[in-house]
Amino acid sequence: LSPIALTGPDVESSTINVVDLDTGKSATVRLIPSGSEENMLEAQSSLEGLRAGVGPKGQVIAIDYTHPSAVNSNGKWYAEQNLPFVMGTTGGDRVELFNDVQNANLSAVIAPNMGKQIVAMQAALENLASQYPNAFGGYELKVTESHQKTKADTSGTAKAVIDSLLTLAGDDEFDKENDINMLRDDESSLAFGVKEEDLNGHAFHTYTLTSADGSVEFELKHNVSGRRVYAEGTADAVMFLYRKLKEGNADSGRIYSMINVLEEGALE
Amino acid sequence: MQNQPYLLLHLLLLLLKYSTGFLPSQSQTQFQSKCQLPMAKTGNHPDYEHLRVMVNGMPGPMATEAAEACLRKGLQLAPVALTGPNIEPCTIVVSDPDTSRSATVRLIPSNKEAEVEMECALEGLRAGVGSKGRVIAIDYTHPSAVNSNGEWYVKQRLPFVMGTTGGDREVLEKTVTDAKLAAVIAPNMGKQIVAMQAALEMLAKQYPLAFSGYSLRMTESHQKTKADTSGTAKAVVGSLLTLSGDDFDVESDINMLRDDESSMAFGVKEDALNGHAFHTYTLTSGDGSVEFELKHNVSGRRIYAEGTADAVMYLSRVLDSGGENKIYTMINVLEEGALE
Repeated sequence: LSPIALTGPDVESSTINVVDLDTGKSATVRLIPSGSEENMLEAQSSLEGLRAGVGPKGQVIAIDYTHPSAVNSNGKWYAEQNLPFVMGTTGGDRVELFNDVQNANLSAVIAPNMGKQIVAMQAALENLASQYPNAFGGYELKVTESHQKTKADTSGTAKAVIDSLLTLAGDDEFDKENDINMLRDDESSLAFGVKEEDLNGHAFHTYTLTSADGSVEFELKHNVSGRRVYAEGTADAVMFLYRKLKEGNADSGRIYSMINVLEEGALE
Repeated sequence: MQNQPYLLLHLLLLLLKYSTGFLPSQSQTQFQSKCQLPMAKTGNHPDYEHLRVMVNGMPGPMATEAAEACLRKGLQLAPVALTGPNIEPCTIVVSDPDTSRSATVRLIPSNKEAEVEMECALEGLRAGVGSKGRVIAIDYTHPSAVNSNGEWYVKQRLPFVMGTTGGDREVLEKTVTDAKLAAVIAPNMGKQIVAMQAALEMLAKQYPLAFSGYSLRMTESHQKTKADTSGTAKAVVGSLLTLSGDDFDVESDINMLRDDESSMAFGVKEDALNGHAFHTYTLTSGDGSVEFELKHNVSGRRIYAEGTADAVMYLSRVLDSGGENKIYTMINVLEEGALE
C-alpha cells in the first residue's frame, strides 16, 4: 500500500494500521484529509515524494471508496495528478467523471459493480438473452431478494438480470416495480438464508423460471454476505490496470470496465 | 407368402385408405378397428397445414408424449407410424390432455414383413398431402434401431428428428450427411436446458477462472433406473470447473440421489419419482461469503417432447425456405427462434 492516502475533509489527519486478517500482512498509512487547498497541496507533495521514492519504473494507482459527493472532485484531482485509479464509489455525475478522465488521457477502471463474479454472471445472462430471446417462452419469472434494511430499492444488478430473464421468457406480466419480493426485516432475511452477523450488509437474490405446466424449473441464486467480493474485485481491477499501464500500449487514456478485467483474466 | 394379385389388392386398399381417409369395411385387411383420418379442423397451426408428422416409436412413453406435444402445437400427425418389430399392428388414439386434440395413428411394426406396407403407406400419405405437402418423422424408438431407422429415413428421403439416444452416432451422422438428408439430431431435446448449457459454455470460454478460488458442489437426482449422471450435468460441471479451477472429480464428487426419501427431500414430487432429472450446482468463494447456485429441475418428459415438436417445426421451416439438407442441432433451433 502507499504510505499516504486521502480521507474525508472533516477527518483529523491520523496514521492507521491496515491488517489483513487472513494473511496477517499489514501496512501503516497516513491519512491526509482532503478538501481544502492546503490539504490538497500536502497530498500532492506527499504523492510527489512517493513517486520519487519508487523511482521511474514505479507506479502509483489509486482506489476510491469515498463518497458520492466527492466522486467528481476526486476524479478531477486524479486527472490533474495523472494518477490512474479504480473508482469504486458510486454516484456523482458519471458523465462528467468520464469526460474528465478522457480529456486528461488518463487510464482508469470505472465500474458500478466491483463484484467480478457477479458481473460475469450478469454478462452471461445478457449474452444468452441476446442470442436466444424467447428460448424460455411461456415460462413465469419470480424474484425474491434481501438486502440490509437501509437499502430502500432493489439493486441495479438485480434489475439488469431481470431484464435478461424477461427477454428469455417473453413474460410481459412481470413488473419490476411491484413484482420483486423484497425482504427487509430480520426474520424474513434470516429465513432466506442470511446469517445474523450479515443482516447489516448483504445482497441475496433468487430468480426462478417455471414452465407453464410446472414440470420444469430453473433457479439462479447469487448470495453475497459482507463486502469481500467487491473488495477482491477492486484489487483485481488494480492489478489489471497496472498490467495495462506496464504494457504501455497506445491506449493512453482509456476507461476500462469490469468486463475488460474479466476478459483479460482469460489471457493469463 | 401372398400371391401377386392379393398383394396388389392389399396395396390398392392401403392407397385408398390413406388418400381418401376412408377405411373400406373389414375383413381382407388387418385393421382391428374403424380408422378415420381427422379432417382439417380449426385449431391446426396455419403455417403447418401442409405438414404431417410421423411419430415413430409409439406406444413408447417418450414417442407418445412427443406426439401429444405436436397436437398441442397444432400440428397434424401422420396416420401411420413405425412401431417395434415384435409389436402387433394396431391402431391407437393419441390425445393431448391440455387441448383435447386427438389423432388416430396406425402402428406398423418395423420388420421385413411389414416393410412394404410401410413404404406404401408413406407413398399414399405423400400423395394425399400433395406436392406442397411435407412429411417429417420423429424417432423415439430404441438405441438398437437408431442406425437401421436412419438408413430407412435416408432410403425414403424422409427428414427426421432423432430423439432416440444411443446407436452409433458417427455412423448415423455419416449416413445422413452423405445422403444429403435434412435432420435434427441432438442428444438433449430439452431446448431450455440446451440454452442454459450453451450460456455456461460461453461464459467459461470468455472468462475462464473468473471464479478462481471458488469450490464446486453438485447434487443430482434421477429415477432409480438411471445408473449414471446425465451427459448434460457432466458438461455443465465441465464449464463450472473451467470457471473455478476447482479440483473436482466428475466420477466421484457428484452427490447422486437414487432413493425415494432423498429424492423427495430434494424436492422431487412423488408422482415424478420414476421420471425426473433434478440438478443443483453450488459455487462458494474461498472465504464462504459468496455463493452462486444454479438449479435445473425437470419432472416427466414434457420438456423433451416440446423441444422435439419445436425441432420438427424448425425443420419444416428450413425445408420450406429452401434451406440446406444437412444435420441441425438444438442450438440451430434456438438460434432460429431468435429470428421470430
